Amino acid sequence: MKLTVDERWDLIEKISKETVIFGVYKHTVKDAIGELTVKPLTGIPIAFAVLYGFWSFFGSFAGFFTDGFFVKLFDEHWLPWLQDVFPGGLGNWFYAIMVDAGHMENGILVASDNCFESFGVLTSGFFLAIGVVLPAIIAFYLILTLLEDTGYMPRLAVLIDTVLHKIGLHGFAIVPTILSLGCNVPAVTASRILETKKQRFIMMTLLAIFIPCGAQLGIMEEVIPDTIGFVLLYLFTGYFILGFILHKVLPGKSPEILIDVPPYQMPMLRDVAMKLWMRVKGFFKIAIPFVLLGCIIVNILYLANIIDWLANVLSPVLSGWFGVPKETVGPLIAAFLRKDLAVAQLSAIEMTKYQMITSVVLVSIYFPCVATFMMLLKEGWKDLLGSIAVLALVVFLYGGLLHLIWILLGVA
Amino acid sequence: MKVLLMGHPNVGKSVVFNRLTGANVIISNYPGTTVDYTKGYMKVKGKDFTVIDVPGTFSLEAKDKAEEVAVKMLEEEKDAVVICVVDSSKIERGLYLTLEIIERGYPVILALNMWDIAQDKSIHIDAEKLENILGIPVIPTIAINGKGIKDLVSKIKDATPVETDKILEKVGGKE
Amino acid sequence: MNEKYNLGSVYFGILGVVALVCGIADLVVVAGGDSFSWGILEIPSDPFRGGWGGLIILFAGLFYLYSIKNFSEIHHFSKAVMGSILVWVIAGCDILAMITESIPGGEEGGWFNTLEGFLGTYAPPYAPAIFLLPFSLVIIYHLHKRGGTNADMEE
Ligand SMILES: Nc1nc2c(ncn2[C@@H]2O[C@H](COP(=O)(O)OP(=O)(O)OP(=O)(O)O)[C@@H](O)[C@H]2O)c(=O)[nH]1
Ligand SMILES: [Mg+2]
Repeated sequence: MKLTVDERWDLIEKISKETVIFGVYKHTVKDAIGELTVKPLTGIPIAFAVLYGFWSFFGSFAGFFTDGFFVKLFDEHWLPWLQDVFPGGLGNWFYAIMVDAGHMENGILVASDNCFESFGVLTSGFFLAIGVVLPAIIAFYLILTLLEDTGYMPRLAVLIDTVLHKIGLHGFAIVPTILSLGCNVPAVTASRILETKKQRFIMMTLLAIFIPCGAQLGIMEEVIPDTIGFVLLYLFTGYFILGFILHKVLPGKSPEILIDVPPYQMPMLRDVAMKLWMRVKGFFKIAIPFVLLGCIIVNILYLANIIDWLANVLSPVLSGWFGVPKETVGPLIAAFLRKDLAVAQLSAIEMTKYQMITSVVLVSIYFPCVATFMMLLKEGWKDLLGSIAVLALVVFLYGGLLHLIWILLGVA
Repeated sequence: MKVLLMGHPNVGKSVVFNRLTGANVIISNYPGTTVDYTKGYMKVKGKDFTVIDVPGTFSLEAKDKAEEVAVKMLEEEKDAVVICVVDSSKIERGLYLTLEIIERGYPVILALNMWDIAQDKSIHIDAEKLENILGIPVIPTIAINGKGIKDLVSKIKDATPVETDKILEKVGGKE
Repeated sequence: MNEKYNLGSVYFGILGVVALVCGIADLVVVAGGDSFSWGILEIPSDPFRGGWGGLIILFAGLFYLYSIKNFSEIHHFSKAVMGSILVWVIAGCDILAMITESIPGGEEGGWFNTLEGFLGTYAPPYAPAIFLLPFSLVIIYHLHKRGGTNADMEE
């Protein structure tokens, strides 16, 4: 027999009267702290501190491994050694793909002296994957896991609920957003917790366009340490502007929800370690093949002169509209495969600080990487087409806007 | 035989699942961690069981895509035994979903998880009496340290469908 | 009992004022642009550690000051706990940055730092948060006195 909703609650009340005794409950310090973290007046300063800790830890941890050891290992030992022993040598096509393509200086082909420039599978590919991205990803997921397991995340959700309502989402959209800072792929799946089609579309579009992944963050810390703050600010601003517009123009509902806040708890070492391991493993399964493949494809396109050709064709758009050197076409192609690879490639191109900012922003917003693309496709091709249409518009306008800002500031 | 883990979000279904099957699905301290189902296997006294961890759902009327997965799973697995995992410190809400599943005719076992938190909040639940009223096995558990999990496993075979009338009778009938 | 809490509120009142001053000093120095040192105290001028970090220290000071209104009451007391946690976040990050800087050999050196280089990293001057750290630990004593649950959260 089926009961109606009221009958069911009625029955529950009777059952609980007979079986449950609610004692008096005294607030503990833990509860009081829990309250402080969700009330805006006290919660916002705390969130600032958490963010500070996040970024500082990320920088220290990744810097320790990358700058402290891996740069030295790869640039001073691995690269010279390979340049010595690898058959073929400068100018050979296979050598170029695997080790070092070299670059032109006064009409002579010279060897690279670091792993950002060489762009071989065995040199840059390994260096980026292991030397830069691995530490960054571990640092990111370690903190994320701690924030999740203690129970801070849902409190952040409550705190940011009002803001996210303005862009048609609600507090829990912070979960996919933060996950996306690690990798967009699991973040797309996590968008399923949103209630309506409209919300999911907004979420996935924003993630695909504006949120850089952990690998990309790691490389950006390496390549543009001084201006990364500005780039991130520009991207997050875009996230809110576009979200606001989409919310206004799209039909559909954005329901209110009640956020359940679980009590704080001490994370368990075993769980943290397990989760960290699974996430890092999951990430690398997606990332490594594409980083290596990316190196191969980009090298082949260079060797076949296709990139030069494209650079000339697209030059009016790139230097005219966006104000970046036409050589950025190479990284933009690489960005189809991996954004981290693309940013690393940008570092080898000569340009001003401001052009660099624009290029990094362009690489970030201009297309989701292959893995994310496949994930979006799995969630529905119609939404994907919509997202891409939005994306194309955003790249032109928001990327162009940055050029305009530089012109107005007189630095372009 | 199939065993389905159902319950509200963030009540510890995935922890129970990991305990039962030795799998490593992701758990976090917020609702909405699991958004897709995972199948795992366990052997009890030589019998093979397929255990399925599903996303948390508040009721059987799905409100988002993750809840849809859970409800669809329940509808597909007509002959499954359902372990209803509830947060003992919020038992009343948990019972709502439990009743819904019982009403649909599934054999149900009730796991009163987070027993430790209920105790911290000085909420006392008479599990035996609850078992009596509902007519289904009711087991207090603390999934994170494994308390009650063995009991839970041994009771799977005792689960049988219950008529709602019987439950109503036990508490004095409909008004 | 009561007297102890009064002592507590005087203590955290003073600590609150000190933290507040440190935070403001941090922000002023960042706005000025040159880092400032005085004896073994050094206030960083970079916008991240000085600016953002300074802001957090300022908040920590405010948390302490709010807590003394009614130090024995749990909701106010936990503000002092929060103040200390904020100090720990900043000081912890500073110390971690020092540790990770001290071990590798640097661009010109070998794989690892020399012993002098290693120790040199830990020599003063220090940022204000490091000085606040030992004084903020007093909160642990008060937590034990209360016998309440520990503040197990973040970082
Ligand atoms: N204190 C206590 N915590 C528990 C217990 N069981 C689970 N938890 C914690 O509860 C949180 C949620 O556990 P999950 O297994 O992820 O919950 P879930 O039901 O799978 O949640 P969704 O996947 O979101 O539906 C985790 O932080 C666990 O550590 C318990 O018995 N006692
Ligand atoms: Mg789960």
